[in-house]
Amino acid sequence: MSNITRRGFVKLTGGIAALGMVTLPARRGWSAPKRVVVIGGGYGGSIAAKYIRLSDPNIQVTLIEQNKDYYSGPLSNWIIAGFRKLEVQKWGYDGLKKHGVNVVIDQVNAIDPAKKTVGTAGGKSFEYDKLIVSPGIGFKDIEGYDAEAQKKIVHAWFAGPQTTQLASQLAAMPDGEPFIMVAPPDPYRCPPGPYERASLVAHYLKKNKPKSKVIILDPKDKFSKQGLFTGGWQKLYGYETPNSLIEWVPAAQGGKITRVDAKTMTVYTDMSEFKSSCINIIPPNKAGAIAEKAGLTDDKGFCPVNLETFESKIHKDIHVIGDACVAPGLPKSGYAANSEAKVCAAAVVNQLNGKPVGIPSYVNTCYSLISPEYGISVAGVYKLHEGKIVEVAGGVSDGKAEEFVRKQEALYNESWYQSIMADTFG
Amino acid sequence: MQLKKLHMLIVAGGLLAGTTFAVVAQAADAPSAADAEKAAKEAAKAAAIAAPPADGAILANTCAGCHGTNGVSAGPAMPTIAGMPTTYLQKIMADFKSGKRPSTIMGRIAKGYTEEETKRISDYLSKAKWGDSVSHANSVTATKVNAEKAKKGKKLVDAQKCSKCHEDDGLTQDEDTPRMAGQWVDYLLIKMQDFKNQHLTIPQPEKMQRAIEKLSLQELEDVAHFYASKK
Ligand SMILES: Cc1cc2nc3c(=O)[nH]c(=O)nc-3n(C[C@H](O)[C@H](O)[C@H](O)COP(=O)(O)OP(=O)(O)OC[C@H]3O[C@@H](n4cnc5c(N)ncnc54)[C@H](O)[C@@H]3O)c2cc1C
Repeated sequence: MSNITRRGFVKLTGGIAALGMVTLPARRGWSAPKRVVVIGGGYGGSIAAKYIRLSDPNIQVTLIEQNKDYYSGPLSNWIIAGFRKLEVQKWGYDGLKKHGVNVVIDQVNAIDPAKKTVGTAGGKSFEYDKLIVSPGIGFKDIEGYDAEAQKKIVHAWFAGPQTTQLASQLAAMPDGEPFIMVAPPDPYRCPPGPYERASLVAHYLKKNKPKSKVIILDPKDKFSKQGLFTGGWQKLYGYETPNSLIEWVPAAQGGKITRVDAKTMTVYTDMSEFKSSCINIIPPNKAGAIAEKAGLTDDKGFCPVNLETFESKIHKDIHVIGDACVAPGLPKSGYAANSEAKVCAAAVVNQLNGKPVGIPSYVNTCYSLISPEYGISVAGVYKLHEGKIVEVAGGVSDGKAEEFVRKQEALYNESWYQSIMADTFG
Repeated sequence: MQLKKLHMLIVAGGLLAGTTFAVVAQAADAPSAADAEKAAKEAAKAAAIAAPPADGAILANTCAGCHGTNGVSAGPAMPTIAGMPTTYLQKIMADFKSGKRPSTIMGRIAKGYTEEETKRISDYLSKAKWGDSVSHANSVTATKVNAEKAKKGKKLVDAQKCSKCHEDDGLTQDEDTPRMAGQWVDYLLIKMQDFKNQHLTIPQPEKMQRAIEKLSLQELEDVAHFYASKK
């Protein structure tokens, strides 16, 4: 059944490409199958594609993803600290194909909201009735942090070769040198992520380079799960003692950087400069490039959407989910992207079938490690009220939890990963 | 503090009664901006909780991030919850919500659902198909079921007459007995550890409590291996 549909679809798109033109949606008969195109096969896009197929197999779904393999950001900080391999972060698209999703490995470089078409770098063109955009993030500029500088100073905020590069740089760093991490301003992908990374680097230093420490240069004065992180740092890394393995420099103490010099491996703030052979810069985030190019972003660089359907407030029939969209109340996390994708998928299926969009429900659950055996979490359950996402329950781990509870949460972290990845790619 | 709480209640109450927040806020004596913001937040929360529930599928699909697609977990420490009876799942969620059943995270999450929402989630998952635990090649923490331990576990299970309630080698699933055959061994091991810590486990039925006391933690672990080995 799904095979026939897929083959039919391949024929159709193939035909279009051969003609070098596209037919306008208006000319399609009323009974023609509805077509959804999804851009980006990460935590958001893959789920949207899969759950549309699960709830209505009559809808043709094409997922366009630029990379053959997907490397998960969640758990990639473990690699930097040397206790995980990049291979187990790698996932592919065979699972989605089994659900009848037409997976195309290509880069989208144009969206035409008027003609309702999507064009790729490979020269293909796809028509859609509904387009779902989940391209993740891009970065805003930092003076001196150009393409050349990024070869020496990585962000590792997409998992992949940069993750292993940062791990090697840390391993090669002389004992006594600081590991400098530049944290991003809000809003950004994975709010606790930079602090998890700092924790795990400190864990590595404690064992391997006890004369070194992590210096976090932060343009903010507070951060996600702060109490739990600093509590763990005090317990494990001597935080706020003279021998602390972690030093957090908030904005108020001059943590905001002004420029970078990759030649001398120096980061400058208003007040001082920091040098190391191992610098990690997580630049300010914005929506992935294609969202910006398609005019889906606002002045802050993210995509405003209706939170009931995730339909863009700028272009009709284009939905934006995941890190790229503006969803106040929800963090930019993989779990939130998963949850948004399901709300969006249900709304799109209902809209295409001429039904009311339905009532949404959202959840976020994020684990972070402070050491391999010290896990903490944040969870939230959300409902929509008067167009806004409202947290109806949730919170962070107990600040006074016993050691073995932290250990259990560390175990849950890896299990969370297995289940969410199976949900995404299985 | 007491007064503030009262004020919040008035605001929420006013909203429920149909009065607008602005009117109520004016009527109370000059709350600070922070108080007003907090009260507005609480009021929005109360209104959101009272808002109509989503469909069972929409609600239950949010569980999948941890418990797997349609409740079949791919994570060794997370239980598969597919195919368990509605009443069983409802009771577990109610116990998480009240705190009767201790948890690291589920208590925080269960509080997010009304009784009706919990019923819909449970209903949906009860209709999902059970799947035995299958470890993905990418999983680095999963414990392998140990045949030796399972064999020892089988003897203990027979001696304790576990099958009086956990029938068919733990395959049975009813209103108050969870299925264990084919469940993740890591999850069962965590539960066994919890059983040995009074403050981490719900009060158990008498016979179950006696068995827990009789068996050592290591023996309970053998039992976990036995049930996990059954499919
Ligand atoms: C170090 C780190 C740790 C993290 N830890 C956690 C965690 O513990 N828990 C959690 O919930 N989240 C975590 N996150 C966040 C999580 O990775 C993101 O929130 C999530 O990936 C967002 O999903 P998305 O679909 O928006 O983007 P992505 O998952 O990044 O997917 C976007 C996809 O779109 C593709 N794409 C982009 N542009 C195009 C184009 N033009 N054409 C074709 N394809 C395109 C990309 O190749 C990519 O595959 C972490 C992130 C990092 C970096």
